[in-house]
Amino acid sequence: MRRSPRRGLAAVATALVLAAAASGCGDSGTSSGSEGDGTGKITFWDNNGGVRTEVWEQIIDAFEEENPDIEVEYVGVPIADVQSKYDAAIQGGDGLPDVGGVSTSYLANLVAQGALDPVTDRLAESGLDQQLLPAMLDSVRATVGEGEELYSVPTSANQGVLWYRTDLFEAAGLQPPTTWDNFYTAAEELTDREHNRFGFTIRGGAGSVAQALDMMYAQSGIDSFWEGDETTVNDPANVEALENYVGLYNTVTPEADLNNDFTNMVATFTGGEVGMLQHNLGSYQDHIDAFGEGVVDGLPMPTQEEGGPHTFVSNPVDGLGLFKSSDNKEAAWRFIEFAASHEMNSLWNESAGSIPANTEALNDDWIQSAPPTQAAVEALSDERTTIVQLPYYLPDWNNITKADTEPNFQRVLLGEMSAQDFLDDLADRLNEAQAEWLEQQE
Amino acid sequence: MADAVKARSRPLRRRRAGSTPRYLPYVLIAPAALLMLGFIAYPMLSVLQYSLRDYNVTKPWRNGFAGLDNFKEIFTEDDFFWDTLAFSGRWVLVEVALQLVFGLVLALLINQTFVGRGLARALVFSPWAVSGVLTSTIWILLYNPSTGVSRYLADAGIGEYGTSILSDPGTVFWGVVVAELWRGVPFFAILLLADLQSVSKDLYEAAAVDGAGRLRQFWHITLPHLRDAIVLSTLLRGVWEFNNVDLLYTLTHGGPAGATTTLPLYVAQTGIDGNEFGYAAALTTVAFVILLFCSILYLRLSKFGGDDQ
Repeated sequence: MRRSPRRGLAAVATALVLAAAASGCGDSGTSSGSEGDGTGKITFWDNNGGVRTEVWEQIIDAFEEENPDIEVEYVGVPIADVQSKYDAAIQGGDGLPDVGGVSTSYLANLVAQGALDPVTDRLAESGLDQQLLPAMLDSVRATVGEGEELYSVPTSANQGVLWYRTDLFEAAGLQPPTTWDNFYTAAEELTDREHNRFGFTIRGGAGSVAQALDMMYAQSGIDSFWEGDETTVNDPANVEALENYVGLYNTVTPEADLNNDFTNMVATFTGGEVGMLQHNLGSYQDHIDAFGEGVVDGLPMPTQEEGGPHTFVSNPVDGLGLFKSSDNKEAAWRFIEFAASHEMNSLWNESAGSIPANTEALNDDWIQSAPPTQAAVEALSDERTTIVQLPYYLPDWNNITKADTEPNFQRVLLGEMSAQDFLDDLADRLNEAQAEWLEQQE
Repeated sequence: MADAVKARSRPLRRRRAGSTPRYLPYVLIAPAALLMLGFIAYPMLSVLQYSLRDYNVTKPWRNGFAGLDNFKEIFTEDDFFWDTLAFSGRWVLVEVALQLVFGLVLALLINQTFVGRGLARALVFSPWAVSGVLTSTIWILLYNPSTGVSRYLADAGIGEYGTSILSDPGTVFWGVVVAELWRGVPFFAILLLADLQSVSKDLYEAAAVDGAGRLRQFWHITLPHLRDAIVLSTLLRGVWEFNNVDLLYTLTHGGPAGATTTLPLYVAQTGIDGNEFGYAAALTTVAFVILLFCSILYLRLSKFGGDDQ
């Protein structure tokens, strides 16, 4: 059969046109939308879908009842996938929501990609900024590192908590783990490997490095993440703290903890005879569900001496972001305002067991009857408490503390790498990322 | 009569010639061609294009044309790439070989006539019908130190509490191999059983008359007959196993300490967790070329379809 070069050319041209069309279709995901008329449909992405779906549905129902001309489409995104889903939607140029749950752990990434509208002016106009905890507003500001602009409305904060089984402690005649000495003693005393009893469960898999930082700084008492442009993670006091922490693995913890992510770690705690678990306030409901009231209590991270000052690393602040590409920003903002209001913010945080951003919600009854949350609020309010601000503003932060170093943390647990080498490597990566970030700021 | 036929056939021939324009075949294949361009060619070219760039969504100031820098880094600086490639090779060889052996044995068994054969066949094929997520969940529970096998063994005094095959670098490989084996064996069993049913019974009867035992019949009749099916199924399965991400990601997340990270899992971690899409695209391109080369080599060496030529 005779081939026609013209037809071949036409086919190639068609392919090129199609490819160009495919790559060029849609907006960039960072284009500015419009205010809209304050009615119609808005899309909301919950950044902890599944776990928080029920409470969000309650909030949405209440909002729609109060605003019958606005319909909210709820999309629950699992917490583990939310960042990649945002990234994909931004890069794909289509499908971003009007409002989305955003944590400060990836807020800087979204801002760097130009996906969010600043909400500073809207907050001031609505007066909501006067109702929100200044510390959380500061944390959101500091995350982005761009002066005074706020790119999310904070709704809640979390705090590292040492959860412990009060029944096991009482049976063994042990003091609650308020100090590090009490903690290490209890971990040892509660361990009876032959009878499937362990003093502690450690997070060795996904999320392990963030948790190790929590344990390190709380023990070392080092009050800042940076000393000049160099990180303090490999300070000798932190190295010693990490050695103590990883020394728990496979002595007072199950060997299987090596792969523990959040789900497995909580399952190990709730499914067996394990004395203690270090996690944030977010797992409170899991413990209640597993053991009922009164069997598990949560304390702020231990101190060096009884009644001494606490040192915490800053936990990510959860909030709501208004997406730049929204074509209905007025309605979207009304939804954000509603969700951050006293009643709704209280409802949400009661469900999550977290610390509400709305100051009025801090006085609500449920906080008084949730000892771990109350203890966390009190510790945070204590003037002697030091908060070590983690550099969530670094675009590489998640990459460094997850994909880059989690396998090495497992090597430390296995004894294949020393705590010093691990922290030196972590410090090198952080210093390099900080230097690059500073260069960009200039 | 002949004239009448001629008279009838003339208008027919004219109509056929008139209603079949020369471009018709192109029009007919155009939808398929466009779909292939859109869903195969475009993504592949897109990956190739990204592989020549620095592209990190969180650091737009770094983005730009990088030439072959990504490839240079892969081959000269990235030790983990070689580790994951070596693990991928070992994973594919062990998985495909074991799945083939067990699949063949099962296919031979359920090809026999016996009471309950239908149920046996359904049982053999059932893991293939289970979704990947469910498979992972089943094996997570089986390997879990609280709910799994190790717990019950420890209750019986065998081994220790709080252990898991997946948390020991010395045993994790075989832990994930067994889980994937469970999912992969039915694929071979189904394909090989289908081919086994087309072997002529006359051949076995003739061989039996000539005094050949069952083993000789298997070597000289069954196996040669299955050759093309084995080559094709091992090739397909090899490609799939090389690209396996879901089970390993769910069971071990590539750990402990990177011990079960395949090359595609490394790509996923680099791109999705690390946001380094340019480098991940370069890794993907390298993986594609390796896979293509190995597939062509395998087909050549195995002389696939040689009997038909």
